[in-house]
This record gives sequence, C-alpha cells and structure tokens, in this order.
Amino acid sequence: MRSITKLSLVVAALVLTGTALQAQTNNASITATASVQTPINVVGAQQLSFGNVFPGVNKTIAATDLTNGGRFDVTGQASTPVTISFTLPATLGSAGNTMPIVSYTGVHAQNNAQTGGTAFSPVAGATPTLNASGALWVWVGAQVQPATNQAAGVYTGSITMTVVY
Amino acid sequence: MKRESWVLIGAMLLGVPLLAQGKPLLVTGVRGVTFGAVLPGVPRVVLRTDPANSGQFDIKGPKGGPVLLSFVLPLTMTGPAGALMPIVFGASDAGFSATQAIGSQVGFDPRQPTTVVFPNNGNVSVFVGATANPGTNQRAGAYTGTITLTVTYL
Repeated sequence: MRSITKLSLVVAALVLTGTALQAQTNNASITATASVQTPINVVGAQQLSFGNVFPGVNKTIAATDLTNGGRFDVTGQASTPVTISFTLPATLGSAGNTMPIVSYTGVHAQNNAQTGGTAFSPVAGATPTLNASGALWVWVGAQVQPATNQAAGVYTGSITMTVVY
Repeated sequence: MKRESWVLIGAMLLGVPLLAQGKPLLVTGVRGVTFGAVLPGVPRVVLRTDPANSGQFDIKGPKGGPVLLSFVLPLTMTGPAGALMPIVFGASDAGFSATQAIGSQVGFDPRQPTTVVFPNNGNVSVFVGATANPGTNQRAGAYTGTITLTVTYL
C-alpha cells in the first residue's frame, strides 16, 4: 500500500512536471496587410511638332495647341495627387547641328480637351491630381530659335516627363 | 524502495520550476500591422506606437519571470498572382509594455531575440511596427504577410 502511494506521488509529480515543460513556450501570429494602389503609367501620346521652321524666324507652339503641342497621357490611382517633372532639352539636334529650344510651357487637365486645364511651367513641374477614373493629360509647348544661317534638316530632341505619387 | 525515493525527489525538484512559474503561458495575436492604401514607389511606415495600425500581441505569463521574445518576420508580403512586396523591420520596430499601454513601451529590435521581465501581474503586451516598400511598378492589390511571436520561459 505504501509503495502504491509513493508511486502515485511519483507519477503525479512527473505528470505535473511534464505539463510545465509543455507550457514553457507559446506563440501566436498576426498578419501584416497592405492594399497597393494602381501603378502610374505614362505614355508619350503626341510629339511636340514645330513643322517647317525658317532660319532667323522663331517659332512657338503653345501648350494649348491640341494639334502640335506635345502630349503625355497618365493613368494611375483615381483621384490621387501626383508630382510631375521634366527633363527638357536646351537644343534640338540634326547631324551635328543644334538649334535652341526655349520658353517651355505646359498645361495639365483631367480631360483630353484641356477643359478646365491648368497652365504650369515644365521647368518648375506641377502637382496635379488624377481624375476620378485615374487619368491625367499633360501638354507641352516651347519655342525654337533657328539662327539666320541655321543648317537645313530635321531637328529632334527628347522631352521626358516623370510622374510619381 | 530506495530507488522510488530518488525518483520522487527528482520529480519534485523538476516540479519546483512549475510552482515558480505560476500560471500557464498564453500568447494572443490581438491586432495585425495595417498599412492600408499604399502607393507604388512610396514607402509606408507604421510605427509601433500607432494605436490603430501597429501590430499587438498580448501575453499572460509568469509573474516577475524573465522570458525570451523571438519573432519570425516576413521579408515580403504576398499579393495578387504571387506578387511580392518588401516589408522591413527596423531596430526599434518592436515595443514591450509591462503595463499593456501602447503609450508606455520600451523599444527593442524584433530581428533579435530579446529577454524581458514580466511584471507581478504577469500581463504584458508587445507592439510591432514595420515599413512596406512597394516598387514603382508594384502590382495593385491586397498583400499579406505573417508575423509570429514566440515566448519562452527562461
């Protein structure tokens, strides 16, 4: 009987000890969540086109010129402000010859007709807001200044617009 | 008979830590880390002191006892079609509160196991912050990751 009692105590102690060892570590998890919005997409939709230019005669294309003004189409998260900035060439080039391009102008609007558009300086950039569908249109104008002895040819340069949230 | 005595003594000695530990250890995930709307290319930081968006674990454990806190942290969150977005934990992105108050934390590095001492009531909270780093072309959609806290008696 005494042996049985002691053995019971041993078993009880071991059971209790075993319980403690099992409970020495515990863990739980939580979740990190994020909802990523629509990435920005920019398309160079229309070239800034000066057409025929004559030596010694400056030519200006206004940003409001829907036919010849340069245009970028932007899409992204609806109703979200963005920052736009430009890399603007100081000259256009043709076979080693250059022609100054100056006086950049810009317009941004939430529609492709410039209705309610806002003028801005491409040199300074702007912070427009995408429309309710996540779209934005940006136009660029400038002036070329051919010299009186400007070599004939097709002159080109690249205008780059960067858009970030 | 003699052998039984030794076994009994051994079992009781092993039982001493159990008595000192008091109540059982319980870890509960109370709240996840919520970044909310994230714009591509724009990092989003959630501070461990953010009462609405920080993660929170509540722990019930040993009264006045030292315990080891260790995390399993994700490197990325997974989004639509398996897209991944980096999530970063800084050196002070976890906080231990012996009063379970978010305004009264001691910061620590969740990337390293950390030893803390429990208060006499055995109830503490651990808060977690993090930074989500979406790429400029990050695919839109919902992203999730799992943060696990393991608590061990010392």
